[in-house]
Amino acid sequence: MAKILFVNPVVREEDVPRHIPYGIALLAAIAMNNGHLVQIYDANAWRKGFGVLPDVYLADDWDVIAIGGLTTTYSFIKEACRIAKEVAPDAFLVAGGGFLTSMPQDIMEWIPQIDLGIVGEAFVTWPEVLEKIDNKDTDFSATLGVICRDGDGKPILNNTRPIIRDLNTLPAPAWDLFPLEEVYFKNSASLFSEDAYRIKRRIDINASYGCSLICRYCWHLGTTGDMLIEKDSNGNNDVVFTYGRNIRYHSPDYIIDMVKELKKNFNIDFVNFLDENLMTMDASSKRTWLKEICEKWIAAGLQPSSRRPGGKAAAPGEEPGVYWSGTSHASLHRPEILKLMYEAGCTHLVYGLESFDPGILKNLGKGTTAQKNIDSVGECMRSGIMPIPNIIIGFPEEDFQSVRNTINALIKLGIHARPHFATAYPGSEWYYTYKESIKEQYDGDLERYVADLGDATKITAVISHNFTGLELLGLQEIVAQRNLRVLDQAEKYWGRPGVTNVAAPQESFNFRRKKIDGPIDGSK
Amino acid sequence: MSELMKGNFEVKRKLDVPDVSDDSADFKNEFKKKALESIGGSMVFVEREMLFWESTESADGE
Repeated sequence: MAKILFVNPVVREEDVPRHIPYGIALLAAIAMNNGHLVQIYDANAWRKGFGVLPDVYLADDWDVIAIGGLTTTYSFIKEACRIAKEVAPDAFLVAGGGFLTSMPQDIMEWIPQIDLGIVGEAFVTWPEVLEKIDNKDTDFSATLGVICRDGDGKPILNNTRPIIRDLNTLPAPAWDLFPLEEVYFKNSASLFSEDAYRIKRRIDINASYGCSLICRYCWHLGTTGDMLIEKDSNGNNDVVFTYGRNIRYHSPDYIIDMVKELKKNFNIDFVNFLDENLMTMDASSKRTWLKEICEKWIAAGLQPSSRRPGGKAAAPGEEPGVYWSGTSHASLHRPEILKLMYEAGCTHLVYGLESFDPGILKNLGKGTTAQKNIDSVGECMRSGIMPIPNIIIGFPEEDFQSVRNTINALIKLGIHARPHFATAYPGSEWYYTYKESIKEQYDGDLERYVADLGDATKITAVISHNFTGLELLGLQEIVAQRNLRVLDQAEKYWGRPGVTNVAAPQESFNFRRKKIDGPIDGSK
Repeated sequence: MSELMKGNFEVKRKLDVPDVSDDSADFKNEFKKKALESIGGSMVFVEREMLFWESTESADGE
């Protein structure tokens, strides 16, 4: 058996740690089910800085040190890998997750300490890698879904690992290996709704993978059939992202059993569905999936007390049911399912409305319209569920009128929002479309851009054709204030003699604007 | 001392990271966070650790 140390990197340092890393928790469970010895150091939960890492790395003689996360964890991961190789050079350093999958060749070049990267979904690749390491075999040249190094240290990207077809074969994540009582339960509450503000013991779950939509800013970590691996013009394998989609979701019984176990083992009072978009799964299932989840939630006794007929909110710590939240979509939700979701305990739903401008929404690939966005807020509110609309500014085609359309809708709907900035995360269509413009804005240093990426609340590289970063910062404040007078004034005096566009689109090898499905296990 | 690592076996060398040093760090971080959230108008915040300044005055005050 291999002795494995997982390190969960720090993310969103400006906020308290709120989310158990679902991927690491799952991979830890898979490793243990395969007979391996596992320890987890949750750097994001503890926030002890880099000073503690040498002690962590020296706590045992690790066969494998595993690290991974979203692109926004890049800076932490880079330093954590450097320390790992310095302190524990004999441990095999394995990286994975979104930060690596989106740009495997770049990451292996920027972090030379990484011995092996797992690209895309790791559920099959990870135990295969562990078995080889356990057998002292570090030749990964024939292993699907990895990027390894040749004798000279040059990265070699192997072919795509097919994603699994049946998600119900996955074990429950190893929740108990994370500091639930010490850290996560203390940060359970959120300001998204009154019920969510009162809760004390939240755990997140993931009921589905992927989304059927093709939003230009989004990407799916190579886990939704959206990723191919092909030879580039230099003859080297590289990732190619597409509009291909293999929609997968756990069965309602699997989800209900998981929540019942969480209630029994940890007395949770809230579950947050991490799913990209619950409503696309519901649409894919021909409107049976969410209905069945809600009905079984109630039948299993998980309905919160305040949602039961004639019921009222339970005293703190005495809630017999489980509240929950998730993600929705303005065109795909339906009044009847929203009503049932509320009855089952749903408190709030995040809607990526993004904009209320018809032109922007048409180009975004979101599958919604300005009117549907407007209607969705009232429809959700009418069900009793609190809508949480996300707004973005700085779209490629953003102009004063599109900002005005968004502000007018915010005023009409009573929404207060400080918008995110349109951000081209690696792996997204935007990233490949504007990669050259991004490099130009970071003096050709793409790694500095990746290290700069956060949760899109601060400005990084601009992809707007019309506005500079300076102007977008002003527009963000104008939207936050819903200040049409200042917007009108800004438009009146706005002018940029002699200045060309900040960002310009281009074609890229790494993105195919076609529906080409990636491989899935069992396909011919 | 909190259990900083969790797993399905006992590690050879237990981590010895005392909790006591964290209280002041937590307070400092909380104060900084709240101060930064309040910035606007006459409310400003200066980071102690980020002051890169050397006095141009000589030792005798000239």
